[in-house]
Parts: sequence; structure tokens; C-alpha cells
Amino acid sequence: MSLKYRLLVILGLIGASFWALFPRTVVERVKRNGEFVYDTVRRVPLKRGLDLQGGMYLALEVDESKGVVPDKSKAIDNALKVVRNRIDEFGVSEPVVQKAGNDRIIVELPGIDDPRRAEDVVQKSAFLEFQITDKTQALEKSLPRLDALLKDKKLVVAVSTGSAATTDTSSRAGLQSLFTADTSKKADSSKTDSAKAAAATVGGPGAFSRLVQQGQMPGEYYVAQSDVATMNQYLALPEVAAALPPGKVLRWSSDTASLGNRIYRALYVLDAKPIITGEFLTDAKPNTSPTEGNLVEFTMNNEGARRFRTETSRHIQDYMAIVLDQRVMGRPPVIQSSIGARGQITMGGKDLQAAQDLALVLRAGSLPVPLKVIDVRVIGASLGQDSIHKGITAGVIAIALVVIIMLGYYRFSGALAVAGLALYILYTLAALAGFSAVLTLPGLAGFVLSIGIAVDANVLIFERIREELVHGKTIRTAIDEGFRHAMSAIVDSNVSTALTAAVLYQYGTGPVRGFAVTLLAGIAASMVTSIFVVRTFYMLWLNRSGEAQTTLSI
Amino acid sequence: MLRILHDTNYDFIRWWKVMAGITIAFIVLGLGSLAIKAPNYSIEFTGGTLMQLEFVKPPDVAEIRSTLDQAGIQGAEIQQFGTNREFTVRAQNPGAVAAQANGAESISVRIEQVLTQKFGANSFKVIRTEAVGPRVGSELRRGAIIAILLSFLITLIYLSIRFEWRFATAAVIATSHDVFTTIAFLKLTHLEISLTVVAGLLTVLGYSLNDTIIIFDRVRENLRKGRKETLYETLNRSINETLPRSVLTHATAFAATLALLIFAGEVIRPFAWVMAFGIVTGTFSSIYVAAPVLLWIERKWPRKTGARQASSTATPTSRTQRSPATATR
Repeated sequence: MSLKYRLLVILGLIGASFWALFPRTVVERVKRNGEFVYDTVRRVPLKRGLDLQGGMYLALEVDESKGVVPDKSKAIDNALKVVRNRIDEFGVSEPVVQKAGNDRIIVELPGIDDPRRAEDVVQKSAFLEFQITDKTQALEKSLPRLDALLKDKKLVVAVSTGSAATTDTSSRAGLQSLFTADTSKKADSSKTDSAKAAAATVGGPGAFSRLVQQGQMPGEYYVAQSDVATMNQYLALPEVAAALPPGKVLRWSSDTASLGNRIYRALYVLDAKPIITGEFLTDAKPNTSPTEGNLVEFTMNNEGARRFRTETSRHIQDYMAIVLDQRVMGRPPVIQSSIGARGQITMGGKDLQAAQDLALVLRAGSLPVPLKVIDVRVIGASLGQDSIHKGITAGVIAIALVVIIMLGYYRFSGALAVAGLALYILYTLAALAGFSAVLTLPGLAGFVLSIGIAVDANVLIFERIREELVHGKTIRTAIDEGFRHAMSAIVDSNVSTALTAAVLYQYGTGPVRGFAVTLLAGIAASMVTSIFVVRTFYMLWLNRSGEAQTTLSI
Repeated sequence: MLRILHDTNYDFIRWWKVMAGITIAFIVLGLGSLAIKAPNYSIEFTGGTLMQLEFVKPPDVAEIRSTLDQAGIQGAEIQQFGTNREFTVRAQNPGAVAAQANGAESISVRIEQVLTQKFGANSFKVIRTEAVGPRVGSELRRGAIIAILLSFLITLIYLSIRFEWRFATAAVIATSHDVFTTIAFLKLTHLEISLTVVAGLLTVLGYSLNDTIIIFDRVRENLRKGRKETLYETLNRSINETLPRSVLTHATAFAATLALLIFAGEVIRPFAWVMAFGIVTGTFSSIYVAAPVLLWIERKWPRKTGARQASSTATPTSRTQRSPATATR
């Protein structure tokens, strides 16, 4: 290839690199005055990973703790659509929602400021059921059996000693904070409850019946907040589950109520078969009512409305529990007359944000299978910014050190290598932008490291040229031979490193993948600059100075 | 021109027994201590919760610890991270059903709550949270092992094609030596083994392999010249001839590593340490593992072609060496 074409190729590559790195206008979801809108923004097309820009990463899997899911892959496909709908409405710029492997959903939310809320929106099953509360006193009838059962199994001694001994209450409060969020309220209530526990029960001193007392409507029972954990332990026993009234289910209320100075959580006994589920829901809107606080209004489609009307007309004067994800929302209202297409869910004491989120997940549809979070990473935006800053500092220092070493040792030829290094950096960044690779923190570190390793090819070539010069070759021949002899070592070492990087890419996740991509881009750029670009520089130098040149600074 | 270590003629390989002793002692020490105490895996591998907190003013670590203990988050590791205002809190996920039902995040939520109660709102900021389920951790561990083994296999195949199986085997054995020394190094320095560190380990493998290939490339070339010398002498000559290149490349690579070590911050530091050690072990193994192993293989399974036989009686054959890719074996 003649010198002219070589120069053209190099200039072309530089041009292409600048074009690839030039800030361009793209349409993106951005936040404007707190609202998410699609807008055009100008930015350098280098995508930063979550660890560099801050944000949230979630990995979700099918939760099989409540039943086996036969076709997980299909279930995940369906869940993926729902999650994507929810995230789209949630309002994040450039979210990623994708399936990973056969049974996993990956969600990436850059720049999120409330990770807990985001996690909730993604994970909430949003399975809505309308169930009639039990009017047959079914639980009371089962209480003797339940008590006897617990006594027989001697389980009562093992789990409920805490409720009798006051000394244990503090440790039990600690245990309960596993289940509930507010620790402050419980601490007070647990002191008083154990003393009163025996007096306030419905059915005598049995272990089970001691925990429950009759509520104000059919099928409603109160359990002291401090006993909720114990109750859950009882209910988890298979023997207890078998002894519960058939055709009925027990559901906790979503919030607590205080009676006197004690805090209770309501436990409802409901008809197991819901009169209708949320599948017929067409719309849900958050609203605030002066009497009931925050609520979500929903609308059903025609078929749902028809069924709802028929079912509710059969249950006039009954109480209907609105059950969301197995929690009873608010107090079950009494059915005055048949209800049609519209209804509402009261949010209890929760804020408008909660109502908005609930409306959002109801609109986006319920998850076909429950999902559990198996991996969460939240990186603050400041940490990402800090990482970039430090990475760039390290990069600049690395470049400075390498330049000093190369110039100090190889002089003029070192300067050619440094020019090559400048192009190496440009080409690598352009390659990353061109393949829309994601720049992560390990990737940035790998890039800095590669600056030190990229000159290796130059070093190999220069040492070869020196050897040829020592053997008495002319400068032109020495350069030619030097490049030729160094070639096999450069190719073999770079290809084997590239193969390792490819393996890393295949088996790595997230940040490590970013690292592998940076490595691959670096290897390609390093081979181009050391073999092709620096060679061209030499040819240019030889041409300019002609055959008269007798010394080469190397 | 400035020249260092030019035209040297050290008998490097003579010391291989001493060097083998040293490196085996190091590996035994490192891996032996693995039996006593598990290495410091990051939560990516163990599963658990990690929070990085930035306090407004330096807090009392003992106070943080007792607050967490009281809240039932027992055995949390609290470590200073960079400045004395930044800390990481690391808690294992309890195996209880509660954690399952409430998701992996719940522990971080609780940590934030109890610390807010103790130190007051706005006294600290959570700048990073990671919560990993146990399954993800075991998957990653398997992935890392597969990645290393697969990269060996691919290297073996590639070098067998480009050189021949003896060289390929020696290079892979030298590289696996580096895996062991690096693991020993990680164990002895108690550095945290994260995904980034595993990536660093793989970079070290690539770097070491690079170094071995450069020397073997010279051996290949010198063998082709058909000098009247033993393979032992050829190896020594090749190492000496590539010595200036080795020094220069290691210097620039080390300079970049040093920049990372000092300036790139706490998250990258373990990676930089691995790389710094890797430059040392990679250089060492290219000379004192790859070369002796190659000699040993040659003795066991000598090559048929006279020209490249490791005996001094080999007859020099004149052949043109245009492209190394057409090397016959």
C-alpha cells in the first residue's frame, strides 16, 4: 500500500472516530419539571453503565415458595410484558427491561431516586380479588380443634412462651421487626399485651384462641400486633392449615387499627372463592376524598361489570373484602345494593404516592406469577460521578507516565509511539461508541490499564528495529525487518488475549461484560495503531528525509 | 540510544529449582490457609447485603455496630471505606423464611431505619446498596470457574495451531500457575474477591500468557535458525533477547497499574492490586515455569525433526522463514 493510501486510511479512521464520538441529538425520556417527557438532547454517544451514572439494577425470578410454576420460561415472558408496562408508566429515562436466561428478568433504572418504591412497583403482584367475609362463625367452630392441636403437638410451648413471659417481649419485638416496618409503636404495645392477653380472648385459654378476639363485623378478628408473628408461625404449620375451616381463607388486613392503647391487626375469614378478580379491570385512577382519604377508583369492562352486578346483588348486606395480593385493603364495606362497573379501593392512612403506584400497577395488569427479587444494586449518582472523576484522573496520570517512559527511552521513535497512543485512545473510545457498548467502572479501569499495555506492540517493534540496526542493516531495511519480525509475536499475543476477553464477555455479567468489551476494543485499536499507524509515520519520516537519513533516534 | 539490559547472557533457567521452591512454598502457604479460613468473598459471591454509607461527620464505629446488633442484624461487618466518613456495612442474609418473603432488600431497609433512628435523619447518605440472593452468588462462582477453564482450553487450541502442543501445554501450565499464585496472594492479603477482581485475574492470565508467547515466539524463531545448541540454551538466549522488551512493557504496564492503585479510588483498588501482583507473577512464570516445563516436556516427548530436537547433535537445516504461520511440525 502506498504512503498516500495509508495516510488516507488513517485520516478516514480519525474522521470516523470523531463522527462516532461527536455529540448528537437523540430522542430520550428526560425529566422536565418532575414530569417525564420525550425530548431531544445532545450528548456524546458513550453510554455509561449504572455504576457510573447511578441507578438501580434488579434481577427477578419466579417465586415458587407459594406453589410450583410449571412453565417458567413462558411465565417469565408474560411477566416481562407486565413489568415493562409498569416501568414505562413509572417514568425513568432509558430503562432496560429484559429477559436473562430462561427464568430471570433484569431491570435497569438509571438515575432512580427512590429505589424502594421502584422495587415495589416492579414486584407487586397486583392480584385483585373481591371476597365476601364469612358469616357462619366458621373460625369459632374450629377454635377448639386448633387449640387441642397445638396442645397435642406441644408446639405451643415451643413458640408461644414469649407471650406469657414479660421478659421475652423485647426479643420478640426484635423478631417482629423482621415482618413489619414500624418498630417504635410495637415496643410500647408489647409491654401491656402479655398481661392482658388471657383476659381479652374469645374462646378461653387455648393457645390459638388466646390470640384472637371477635371484631366488629362477621368474619373479622383482631390480633394484637405483637402476636402477629406468633400467629403467622401457627398458620404456617401444615396441621393448623388442615384444621382451618374448609372453603374459607384467612387474610390479614393491610394496616393496623388501635383500640384503646393497644394496636391490632385485623384478620379476616373470607370465602375462598372470590366473587370477581381484577382481570376485568380496564382503568384505575388515584384520587383523594375528603372523608375516606386517598383512594384508587377503578372501572371494569362490560363483562366484569355484569358479573360484579350479579354477584353483589346476591350478597346484599354482606361485607365485601377487597383483597390485593392477599392483604385486605381497608375495612370491608357492606354491600348496600348491587355494584356495577365502578368501585374504589381506600388506601387507609397511606399517602397519595401509594395510591398513584397502586393505580399504576392495576392499570399495567397483575403479574401472572409472583416474582422475587434475587439481586438488587443501587448506586447513588454522586458515587458514579466520583468514580468517573477518579477514573479519568488515573487515566491522565497513566498516560503521562507512559509518555515519559516512551519518550525517555525511545526519543523520536517514542514520540511516534505516543502519537500512535493518542490515536489508540481515540479509536478505542470510538469503537466503544460505535458498538454502543456500555462503559462501566471495571471497563474504565481496564481502559486505563490498556494504555500501559498498548505500547507493548510498539516496544516489540522498536526492540526489533534496534536489533536489526545492530546487525548493520540500513535504516529503511531495519524498520522493514523490525516490523516483519515483530509481527508474529504481536498477532499471537493479541489474539490469545482477545480470545480470553471473548470468554469473559460470554460468561461475565454487567460490569465485567463492560470490561471485556473495553478490552476487545482496546486490542483491536492497539493492533491497528502499532502495526499500521506507527509504520506509516516511519514511512512518512523516511520519505521526507530521503535516503540521506543515516541515524534513527530509537 | 538509551539501552538497558542489552546483549545480556544470564543463565536464567539455572535457578529454576530455587524458584520452583519459592513459588511452591508461596502457593502452599496461600492455598493451605484457605483450608483454615475461607477467602474474603464479596457479597456478589456469598449472597447478602452491602451498604455504603457516607456520614456527614465521622461516626463512632462501635456505635454503629451496637445499633445494628440491637436491631437483630447480628454479625454485620462494618468497614471504613476510603475516608473516615465512609463505611460499608455488610450483612449476610439470614436463612429465615422472613427474608424470603420480604425479598432481599428488606435488610438494607432495616439498616437504614435503625441508623436513622440512632444518628438522625440527614446525618448520613446511602450511596450504594447491593443485595444478592444466594443462588446468584453460586451461579457467579460457577461462571468464573467456567470462564477460566474455557479460556485455558481456547488458549491451548490456539497455541497448538500457531506453535505446537508442547509450547501450548507449557504456556497453559505457566498460566495456571498464575491462577494459583494470584489466589494465594488474594488470600494472604485478605483482599475482597469481587467480580471485578475475577476480571482482574483473567486480565492477569491474558497478560502472563502474552509474556510467555513473546518468549516462545523468540524460541520458535531461534529454533528455526537451527543453531547448534540445546533447547536449554535456546530458551536462555530467547529470554535474554527479549529482556529489554520485557523491562519496558512491564514498566509501562506497571505505571498504569500504579495510577489506578493510587488515583482510581476504593472500588477499583483490589483490581489494581491483583494487576500489580499479576505483572510480577506473569513475568516470573514466563521464565521460571513455562521454560522449565517446556524443557521437561521435550525430554519426555522429544520432537522427531532433527533441526528442532533438543540435542546438540541436531543438524542445522537451512530453510527460509517467510511466515511463522507456516511453521511445520
